Amino acid sequence: MRRQIATQLALSVISLFLVSALVFWLVDKLPGDTAELVLGQNATEEAVAVLRERLRLDMPLSQRYGLWLGDMLRGDLGDSIVAGRPVIDVIGPRLANSFALALLALAIYVPVGLGLALVTAVNRGRPLDTGISLVVLIGMSVPEFVIAIFLMIGLAVVVPVFPPLALIDQASGFWDTIYMLMLPALSLCVVMTAYAIRLMRESLIQILDSDYVRMAELKGLPPRRVLLRHVLPSALGPALSVTATNVAYLIGSVVLVEMVFNFPGIGRQLIESLVYKDFPVVQAISLILCSIYILANLVAEMAILLLNPRLWSPT
Amino acid sequence: MSLAAHSKFSPVLHLGQGLSWPARIAALVILGYLVVALTAPLWIPYDPFRIMIGPRLAPPSLQHLLGTDQVGRDVFSRVVWGSRPVLVLALVTTTLAVGIGTFIGILAAYWQGVFDLLVMRLTDVFVAIPPLIIALLVISALGNAPVVMISIVAFIYLIRTARILRAATLAIVTEDYVTAAVLRGDSTLSLIGVELLPNVLGTAMVEFAVRAGFVIVFIGALGFLGFGAAPPSPEWGVMINEGRGVILQSIWPVFGPAMAMAILVVALNVLTDGIARRLETGHQGETA
Repeated sequence: MRRQIATQLALSVISLFLVSALVFWLVDKLPGDTAELVLGQNATEEAVAVLRERLRLDMPLSQRYGLWLGDMLRGDLGDSIVAGRPVIDVIGPRLANSFALALLALAIYVPVGLGLALVTAVNRGRPLDTGISLVVLIGMSVPEFVIAIFLMIGLAVVVPVFPPLALIDQASGFWDTIYMLMLPALSLCVVMTAYAIRLMRESLIQILDSDYVRMAELKGLPPRRVLLRHVLPSALGPALSVTATNVAYLIGSVVLVEMVFNFPGIGRQLIESLVYKDFPVVQAISLILCSIYILANLVAEMAILLLNPRLWSPT
Repeated sequence: MSLAAHSKFSPVLHLGQGLSWPARIAALVILGYLVVALTAPLWIPYDPFRIMIGPRLAPPSLQHLLGTDQVGRDVFSRVVWGSRPVLVLALVTTTLAVGIGTFIGILAAYWQGVFDLLVMRLTDVFVAIPPLIIALLVISALGNAPVVMISIVAFIYLIRTARILRAATLAIVTEDYVTAAVLRGDSTLSLIGVELLPNVLGTAMVEFAVRAGFVIVFIGALGFLGFGAAPPSPEWGVMINEGRGVILQSIWPVFGPAMAMAILVVALNVLTDGIARRLETGHQGETA
């Protein structure tokens, strides 16, 4: 048990290091001389030389990586080339926006996704289960940007309930913000919910069929009590694991959904910075997103290990 | 291209008898996509690249079944023509990913030792990187030539396939017939081809179907973000990206490609479920 946890932790740390090296190396390979790019074709040689030195472009790659990693670990993300401001100032507000979006998506997903999973498991084999499973299949297969497009067509163009573009910076007040965030959050929810139902249904059925739940039922406990006292505690591990996996999944889909709704979040910032070759911003965002992804996956593994008593091998 | 697709799919068709009816319908739908892609010139009423072939942003009509886009191109012709880049890219990428992944997975399970350890640790590390981020970085660094995109997407999925095929092979590598073949002194290649591969072919087939679905979605997403196929191409992700800007004026430029992609991936998933269930019951008997 302790060894498994140590292995998982070590793997995460190694992955993080490799990711940082990979991100640094790939961004370094992006075409174009950064200094010339920033200053334009007509820049004087002196100006180019000064900027090259500031960006450490004259040093060998490995040395630059070491210095960059040191800066990152100290929380110094460098300066944005395009905006001419510290990276943290550029991505800070974007990160906050994405965080709000992810939070709203999770706030809808946790009750709906996990609740529906329970409904399908309790009603397994009945038409309700079959019906939900069919919707789940569609939600799991169709990519999030296509779901987002369909939601936009349905709920913003054909029946204009929500705004088609999530221009959150123009929102006034809390409820207006929620209103603006609704369509992108729903798009993220569909896929997360589908995935949760698919995975949770199996483990919930296993729990419902287990001896101790049967026992509780045979003792004559009311079904609600069985569900609350016996089923739900056992389902906690799988539920947390699926949710953590979904958070990891959010990393990719948030980029796509933000692009659909022109949402000023971290994902759209990444795409824009890649297009404008704003390397420090790309590096910082990639590293942040990869860290969240690795951390979420670590939590998913840990949840399975820590919340399942059967895996607590005596050591 | 079509030959590779056939040799991969023919074993799937052989087990058609045991498939549930939704899976059979799904198989027919996918077959339909393949036939339309192969015979695309027969279906298109207009040149898919010609602008101002009709009015701009026209709704569906008998002249333009799925309407026209912002430069007056026929959406139906573009969606039909787009099935070619979508399916060719998906088949090449999936074949590479599952082919190489299967080979590495079997080899790791058979050789074990250092090679196995190396494969497992390397895949551990790469599985920990969010696929979309790494693909965006690699494509930005090396350019969006089809070779680059196919390579990086194939790589992302081959590491996942290799792990699954390794696990499947580990379950049979201790069987007597494998030991006998080793003692007989069969070469590694013939051992893999004759004893191991046929016994994990079911797993590899399910992998192919699963990964094909992921690959189509992933390549579509790259096209949508502007990092995949290049714009005049009617690849569906690219079409959705182009139509997104005018969605408030007309939904039709995005509706056609979005529908085409949605139906294809749903069909693929239904078929995959069917095959997986069929193989399970075929090998282990019904589990209650």
